Amino acid sequence: MTVSTDRSRTGNRTEAEAPGLGIRLLPILDRYGILLVILVMGLVLYALQPDVFFSWRNITNIFKQTAVNSMLAIGMFLVILTAGIDLSVGSVLALGMMSLAVANAAGWAWPIVLLLGPAVGLATGFVNGVGITKLRMPHPFIMTLGMLFMARGLANLISGGVPYTGLPDAVRFLGSAQIELGELDGTRLNLPVGLIVTIVVYLIFWVFLEHSVLGRRIYAIGGNPQAARVSGINVDRVLIFVYSLCGLMAGFAGLMMAGRTNSGFPNAGIGAELEAIAAVIIGGASFFGGRGTVLGVFGGVIIMGLISNTLNLNNVSVFWQQILIGLIIVVAVFLDVVRRGIGTRR
Amino acid sequence: MNTRKLSLTLAVLSISTTVLAATAASAQSILVDMKGPGAGNPFWAAVERGALEKGKELGIDTVVLAPPTESDVAAQITQIEDQLARGIKGLALAPTDPNALAPVVEEAIADGVPVVFIDTQGSNEGVTYIGTDNVAGAALAAKFICEQLPSGSEVAILTGIVTQSTGKARADGARSGLSGCGLKIVAEQSGEWDRAKGLSVMENVITGNPGIKAVFASNDNMALGAVEALKSANMLDKVMVVGFDANPDAADSILAGEMSASVAQNPENMGALGIESLMKLAKGEKLPPVIDTGTVLVTKDNAADYK
Repeated sequence: MTVSTDRSRTGNRTEAEAPGLGIRLLPILDRYGILLVILVMGLVLYALQPDVFFSWRNITNIFKQTAVNSMLAIGMFLVILTAGIDLSVGSVLALGMMSLAVANAAGWAWPIVLLLGPAVGLATGFVNGVGITKLRMPHPFIMTLGMLFMARGLANLISGGVPYTGLPDAVRFLGSAQIELGELDGTRLNLPVGLIVTIVVYLIFWVFLEHSVLGRRIYAIGGNPQAARVSGINVDRVLIFVYSLCGLMAGFAGLMMAGRTNSGFPNAGIGAELEAIAAVIIGGASFFGGRGTVLGVFGGVIIMGLISNTLNLNNVSVFWQQILIGLIIVVAVFLDVVRRGIGTRR
Repeated sequence: MNTRKLSLTLAVLSISTTVLAATAASAQSILVDMKGPGAGNPFWAAVERGALEKGKELGIDTVVLAPPTESDVAAQITQIEDQLARGIKGLALAPTDPNALAPVVEEAIADGVPVVFIDTQGSNEGVTYIGTDNVAGAALAAKFICEQLPSGSEVAILTGIVTQSTGKARADGARSGLSGCGLKIVAEQSGEWDRAKGLSVMENVITGNPGIKAVFASNDNMALGAVEALKSANMLDKVMVVGFDANPDAADSILAGEMSASVAQNPENMGALGIESLMKLAKGEKLPPVIDTGTVLVTKDNAADYK
């Protein structure tokens, strides 16, 4: 992986002479604004549940609960960067999860069981990528919609539609293990491995997207596929890579979910693709491709996790959660529209 | 423009705050987590009503939550984790998936939170299950048939899928009830819970046993299938059909004089007994492994309540 020093992604906003304070703040807000939103949300939630919200257990709960969506969203982000979409990730999650659960029940060795989920995800992602590029599907929506049904059907077919329970600890490790850090004021301080996995995966993706040639090409394809093609980028090959990686992350999410629930169950991941897309959009990525950051996606996932967490803590019907997430998607994109308008008008 | 962005952000937050402020944080409560929301589903609405009324009666703060759909296993796990972090003093759970919910139930037990399963038995050992005793329910149906027929009459059983616990329990209860009062079971076959399969199986049963006087079907779908088979054979007036579940179609059929009876579960009791049992556990009392929430025989007299 060659490391590029090109950092001109926000190049359309090269500083003019003597800009106002507001304008100079824009790029910073652009990059880190989502952290501010999370901070404000955190303070509001803290005010509502002062005893519970900032407790170690609640904070680690949020990361345990968002780990699966984190994995799906980062794969989805790559696809959306290329102005594509992958509707199949929820089903691929289920397929990966059921494959490993069935393999485990059949007595396969745990290292194979462990690798099977992500491998199955990678394979379905590869099929998606090849379908989109080589079969020249008019839009990724169609190929991945087909895969949504195929992967779900396949997951039910191999399992007979019944749950499989009981996985070895090694397989459950990433999804459910806790590292004991000790005690503080009588409470156990356990660090969920899922949190570490999330951080490591996001760091890898950040380095890859910001500092590798392939990563820069993914941004380029989304920004302007024609220009990318003319400048010698093999667009098909990059797209196949992107969809494969998205599938891999979905399979990996299946492994995490299997660990968390100690089972493979047929209803896993229904609607998960929409949650992943929501996190990416709330995180500020553009649906037209070429724009968005890894940090933003992370923020989007956490905002969704915070909403669910706080509504559960306050005994609010889960229907409100659906309404609020919908509202936030619309408001987040509207903010983006307003901000871009100001950025270009100046 | 920053002010504008900020004000928009604050608007969103204030909306969520208003929503939350409406439901002020409460003291330690009992959590009832159902498979699906009460809205739109009379069964869960009854469980919720039973739990809330019992909570009020005993002066216990009771919180009822449910995932948006019965398939949303992850949402149910998340709700329980969050409530455990908040601190609850009991959990009555109808698991969307018994196996997938097992780890978070273990977590609750490790926290010292009393747990019972309602409606659906979970896979954790040693946790009391509060729900329909299907053996007793089928026995109730068998008793009804016994009362109507002279000893020695020929009867048949349409079973569900007997590899499932519910299917086996209902078949067992009916078999021992019917043979116990001296009726002669001439056929016991599976209609796999399905109306069309129940119909074909019943056709074969009456062909082979034209003298039968009654059939117990392990659910109403198969019972309604059996009614169709008897109708086409012009035998409906000679053979009584008893089902299980008391669903609205069956209630209509009973009122129309086609099916004779069905057996209703008692979801309200699941909620109420759930709360009561958790309070017993909290006081250190022991619970039996299974608590029957009771079943009710539905005949012409009370079928109108189940439409």
